[in-house]
Amino acid sequence: MHDEASQQILLLLIILFPLGGAIINGLLGRYMPKALVTFVGLGSVAVSFALAVTAFVELYGLSGHDDVHATLTYQFYEWFSLKLPRGNLVPINVRFVMDSLSGVMTLVVTGVGGLIHLYSLGYMGEDEGYPRFMSFLNLFMASMLILVLGSSLPVMFVGWEGVGLCSYLLIGFWYENRVYAAAGRKAFVVNRIGDFGVLVGMFILVGVAGSFEFADINSAAVAGEFRPNFPFGILGVVPSLATVACVFLFLGCTGKSAQIPLFVWLPDAMAGPTPVSALIHAATMVTAGVYLCCRLSPLFITSDVAMAIIAVTGTLTALLAASIAVVQREMKKILAYSTVSQLGFMFAAVGVGFFAAGFFHVFTHAFFKACLFLGAGSVMHAVHAHGDADIFKLGGLKKILPITRWTFLASCLAIAGFPLTSGFFSKDEILLGAAAQIYRPDDALQHAVGWFTLIGLTLAAVMTAFYMFRLYFLTFTGEYRSADQSGDHPYDAHPHESPPSMTIPLIVLGIGALVVGFLGLPHVMPITGTHLYSWWGHWMHSSVAGQPVPEEMHIVNLASGLAFGAMAVGIGAAWLLYRNKSTDALAENMPKRLFELAFDKWRIDELYAATIVNPIKKVATVAGHADMTFVDALMTKWPSFNVRETARIFARLQNGVVQMYGAVMVVGFVAVLAFFWTPHSHIEAAFEGSKVELTTPLGLGYEYRWDANSDGEFETGWAHAPETNFEYAQSDVRGAAVFISNARSGVERRIDVGKDWMRLPIEAVAPAATLSRDDVGFEVRVDGQELVFRRPDPPTLLAGSKEMRLPMGKGGRLGPARVYARPIVEATVEVRNAFGNSRRDSKEIALPFWIEETPSHASLMPARSEVVR
Amino acid sequence: MGIGTYLALASVLFGIGAAGFLTRRNMLIQLMSIELMLNSVNVVLLAFNRVNPENHDGQVFAFFVIAVAAAEAAVGLAILIAYYRIKKTIDTDDATLLKY
Repeated sequence: MHDEASQQILLLLIILFPLGGAIINGLLGRYMPKALVTFVGLGSVAVSFALAVTAFVELYGLSGHDDVHATLTYQFYEWFSLKLPRGNLVPINVRFVMDSLSGVMTLVVTGVGGLIHLYSLGYMGEDEGYPRFMSFLNLFMASMLILVLGSSLPVMFVGWEGVGLCSYLLIGFWYENRVYAAAGRKAFVVNRIGDFGVLVGMFILVGVAGSFEFADINSAAVAGEFRPNFPFGILGVVPSLATVACVFLFLGCTGKSAQIPLFVWLPDAMAGPTPVSALIHAATMVTAGVYLCCRLSPLFITSDVAMAIIAVTGTLTALLAASIAVVQREMKKILAYSTVSQLGFMFAAVGVGFFAAGFFHVFTHAFFKACLFLGAGSVMHAVHAHGDADIFKLGGLKKILPITRWTFLASCLAIAGFPLTSGFFSKDEILLGAAAQIYRPDDALQHAVGWFTLIGLTLAAVMTAFYMFRLYFLTFTGEYRSADQSGDHPYDAHPHESPPSMTIPLIVLGIGALVVGFLGLPHVMPITGTHLYSWWGHWMHSSVAGQPVPEEMHIVNLASGLAFGAMAVGIGAAWLLYRNKSTDALAENMPKRLFELAFDKWRIDELYAATIVNPIKKVATVAGHADMTFVDALMTKWPSFNVRETARIFARLQNGVVQMYGAVMVVGFVAVLAFFWTPHSHIEAAFEGSKVELTTPLGLGYEYRWDANSDGEFETGWAHAPETNFEYAQSDVRGAAVFISNARSGVERRIDVGKDWMRLPIEAVAPAATLSRDDVGFEVRVDGQELVFRRPDPPTLLAGSKEMRLPMGKGGRLGPARVYARPIVEATVEVRNAFGNSRRDSKEIALPFWIEETPSHASLMPARSEVVR
Repeated sequence: MGIGTYLALASVLFGIGAAGFLTRRNMLIQLMSIELMLNSVNVVLLAFNRVNPENHDGQVFAFFVIAVAAAEAAVGLAILIAYYRIKKTIDTDDATLLKY
């Protein structure tokens, strides 16, 4: 790759131009003149298209001379990285890659997108939300380009969500209309279900391949890393990793690309302005699912089961949507179901392994379906229809709208598969894929899928040709049915052709619808058997996997015959029933109930409402009530109610009468004064050896004097310090107390003891379980320096002796209880405050030691409890 | 003349001031009552300073109180005028704007 740097940055610029346009128009658009809005919106996309062409030419040059997988890449920056359970760090790069697949898609997005921007100038120019519209449209372009050019799943997912957001914004563009806004929400919610699938699939892929890059995942798939079985199965069937990942990714595709079961949002999405329907809901965004399958085609092709699911789903969708489109009355609705049906064709092609053919249909479909939508928009613009146009009120417009008519006819021929138009080649290729599946040897599943797909798609192709020409004939042939203005809500009696800004895109797209098919000529011509050169097949070969294209004449002839026959039958039937007619022959001749069922879209929406939406709504109602009664009421309103009501009571005090405040102040002052009028004291004792430190709380302006032994004589004079030290003498002892602590009965008690026998409470010294009325317990008395415990009758607990003697200051054991003998002294303090008021306070103190008559070293030993035998 | 007499005078003055403040509804009278209470404090300060004449703390404090009282009176009267402009009255019963 020569001249790398200058080429690579192109990829970033392709995205940045529409993004810049979106920002400018979004923020400043309403202050700018309309011409400037147009210049920014249209110019940014035009530049982006020019850059895309430049990049594509460069890519073409690179891949021209050698057959390698040529790519342009631009590494912007590393976004973040993820640590896998295995321990390796997976970087997530914002990197853009253009290869043969994304190159074509980029051209389609910017090219068709540019034409639709131009069309919007005419279609939406008069709307007051024009700058907003242009901004959303540009934002969509940027998101879609990120989706297409992103080199890894997370970056693609950013675009994937971005286009979903823009789709939501543009469907609900006229958000004053509740129905339109609801359609936008529906699209968003349904897409979220699919996005969940994409995320799950993404995580499975990164878990196995260890990388988010498409290239790494594909090479891992080729290397067979996804062949092992999934860790667990359903009903005994254990799918492979590839199957599970692909099915989840396909769930995302059914959301974004409107397949069964998530297709219901797309028909409603026609609430958006017609250019939006053409760009997002026909040409580009809805094909993102097909693009993703092609991007990961080497992975998908490793799972037969997932491929079968995709093929069957695609075929069923094609049939179902076509059968609805056949009986609808409104232009855009028919086109919407046609889009769903054509997307089904694409997925059927993917499912039979013809990825390139499926993507070729994406390519051709972008032209003719965009042209059809824009043509429908042109008709609606001409007859001043709002929202949608009822084809039974139109007719005969071929004389009035010649350009619209010819381009519309070209696109109808293309979608019906008229020979040599673009749809002919792409649809032929899809049917060829289905036919090839039938002749593939020895695989019952593939045979069944092949038969089902071939028959289903042929039927769908018949219906496609039929409903498109029903639409064409009723709109453009016969007489203009709103001309006499007598019908029910007729359209404008005097329609006019649209302005050039609308007809130029029509002409370009119409020509495209006729000729782009020649890019993908079949490998083998039917009947003659001539080998042709398929540019598309060769071009896509480098980036898209797929089944081999069969060259046996009977397969080729079968597919072509079916395609041609389906087209001929469909157009012929429409010619007979609707050319120059004004009534619905189908409605008159079909069984009434069947017709109504088809007209009501087989009541799929009602089915979903009954089975999924309403149960969820009911759950939500219950949860809502729970929220209101529990969270909101009990946990929020009840506490706030309490606070409010309490506050209301106290708020009464704030009555605004100054005198009341003053009176309260005086009362408070008097209370404080009363408290301080007399002093307060509270004696605490701390022991240090034989010394006792007595303290009382310090008070402001207090003076203290102590009578530590309460003999009436104060040992200290008045002093400011609130403590004193004292050493007690034997004569100070006032009495004795026993402290009992019985862990078994939980009793903690102090009992004063005198010289006479007194009985200890039985529960203090006996285990709780042995308590009985007969148990007389213990008696205790003071005897000199000892406490004497005895058991009057019978002396059972004190084994071996009738008495236990416990010296004062010591501890011992009495049955299950610990007992401590303590001498009691009394301390007194007198406190005096600045008012001259004084107060005496006395407290008994239990000494944890016995007092020797002459203080000695022995008495300085700290008191220690011990068992006395 | 002992300190008791001065203290009695101060108490009477303070009592009159407090009673006036609490019972009268006219803001001017209330301001005057506050002045009375402040001055009773001044009497106490001077009386104690007379008992302990070693320093002049009491007299200094009395001057402080006079200065603060002057400032208080200025602020109080300013509030009173502002209030009068709003309410066209100086009755404190009507001063209920900040009521709950």
